[in-house]
Amino acid sequence: MNQRLLGILLDSFPKILLPGLTMTIPLTVISFSLALVIAVVTAMVQFANVKVLKSIARFYIWVVRGTPLLVQLYVIFYGLPNLGVMLDPFPSAVLVFSINEGAYCAETIRAALESVPKGQLEAGYCVGMSYMQTIRRIILPQAMRTAFPSLSNNLISMVKDTSLAANITVMEMFMVTQRIASRYYEHLALYIEVALIYLLFCTVLTKLQALGEKKLNSYGAN
Amino acid sequence: MAMLQIRNLRKCFDGLEVLKSVSLEVEKGDVVAILGPSGSGKTTFLRCINFLETADEGELIFDGEVFPLHGATRKDIGALRKKTAFVFQNYNLFRNKTALQNVTEGLIIGRKMPKDQANALGMRMLQKVGMADRADSYPNQLSGGQQQRVAIARALATDPEIILFDEPTSALDPELTGEVLAVMRALAQEGMTMLVVTHEMNFAKNVSSKVVFMEGGVVVEESDPTAFFQNPKQERARAFLKTILGEERKE
Repeated sequence: MNQRLLGILLDSFPKILLPGLTMTIPLTVISFSLALVIAVVTAMVQFANVKVLKSIARFYIWVVRGTPLLVQLYVIFYGLPNLGVMLDPFPSAVLVFSINEGAYCAETIRAALESVPKGQLEAGYCVGMSYMQTIRRIILPQAMRTAFPSLSNNLISMVKDTSLAANITVMEMFMVTQRIASRYYEHLALYIEVALIYLLFCTVLTKLQALGEKKLNSYGAN
Repeated sequence: MAMLQIRNLRKCFDGLEVLKSVSLEVEKGDVVAILGPSGSGKTTFLRCINFLETADEGELIFDGEVFPLHGATRKDIGALRKKTAFVFQNYNLFRNKTALQNVTEGLIIGRKMPKDQANALGMRMLQKVGMADRADSYPNQLSGGQQQRVAIARALATDPEIILFDEPTSALDPELTGEVLAVMRALAQEGMTMLVVTHEMNFAKNVSSKVVFMEGGVVVEESDPTAFFQNPKQERARAFLKTILGEERKE
C-alpha cells in the first residue's frame, strides 16, 4: 500500500468513526427503542384481538412491509414538504426507521406471544390475575425471551440500514465517507474502510446478543 | 345445603355435545373423584366450573350464591375464581418465575398482598408440599412431580374453598405419581374439598369420599367409592372398571 493511501485511510478513520458514534449509533438506538414500543403495542392488539385496532395494525404492517425503506425515507423527507410539513433530516430518519422497524418487530413479537402455551394464561386466571396482569407479568416476558434472537437480528440489520439516511442528508458514516471518497478519488479503499466500521459495530452487537442469550438461558425458563 | 352445586351444565364443541346436562353436588370436605374413559367430558366439565371454558347452559351455586355458567360477568368470574383453585394436568407453572414466585405471583399481583407476607405464606405452602428447599428453582429445573407439587402449593396459597384437579398425575412418569398423590392424600385428610378428575383408581378407591363416573357427556353413576368399586350398578361402569383394573393387573 502506498504512503498516500495509507495516510488518507488513517486520516479519514476518525472522521468516519466520529459520525458513526454521534449519528449512526444514536439514530439506531433511538429508532429501535421507538420501534420496540410500536411493535409491542401492534403485536398486543393483534394477540388480544382488539377489534378495530387489529385491522389498523394489519394495515400498518401491510403497507410498511410492502414498500421500500428508501422510498419511505423519500416520501417523508422530500414528499411531506408538498403538504407543508418540513422535518429536519434526523427526525425524518428516526420517524421512518422506527415506523419501518416497528412493523417487522411487531410480527416477531406477535409470533413469540402466540408461541407461549395457552396454559400460562389460564394459570394466571386461576391464581386471581387479570388478563392484563398475566400478559404483563407472565406472557410478555416469556415472549420477549423467545423473540430476543430475532429482535437482535432486526437491530443488526438496522445498523446497516441507517446508511440509507445518507439519501436524506443525514450526516452519518456513509455520507461522510462518500464525501471523503470523492474528494480523494479513493472509492474502493474508503468504502471498504466504512464497511469494516459497520462490521465492527455489528460484531459488538453480535457479541452482546450472545451474552444476552446466555443470561436469558441461565435465567431458567425456556 | 351443599357447598357447590352444578346444575344442568351443557357444552358443545362445534356442534358436538360433549356435556349433556351434567349436575353435581359437592359438600364441604368432600373429595370427589371423577372417573371415566377419555372423551367422556370430565376435563371439560372441570374447566367449565372455573370458566376456563364457557358452558352453553347451566348454573353453579357456590355457598348459596348463584353464578350462570353461560354469560357470566367478568365480576362473577373473578369472584368464583377467588373461591377456587385449579391444578392442571401439565402443571402450567409460570416458566419465567421461580417456584416461590409461582406461589406468590397471584397473591402479590392478583390480590395485592404485601410482598413480605406473600413470601412467608409462599414458603409455608412450599414447605407443606416438601418443596421449600427448591424455592429458587425455575420450573425447567424441576422434575414433573416436583413441578406438580409446586403447582399444588400455588393453588393452596390462594386459600381456596375447593381445589379442582385435572388429571394431576397423568403427565407424570409412573415413579413420580406417588409424591403428588401423597400430597393430595394429606390435603384430603386435612379436610380440603377437592374435585379430582383422575385415572388413579387407587386414589379414587382409598382417598375419595365420592365417585362420579362419566361417559359420553353424562354422569352414569354416582356413589361412594366402596360401593362403586365392589359392585357398580351400571353396566357401563362395570365395563370401564374391568378394562382399567384388568390393565393395572397386567402391569
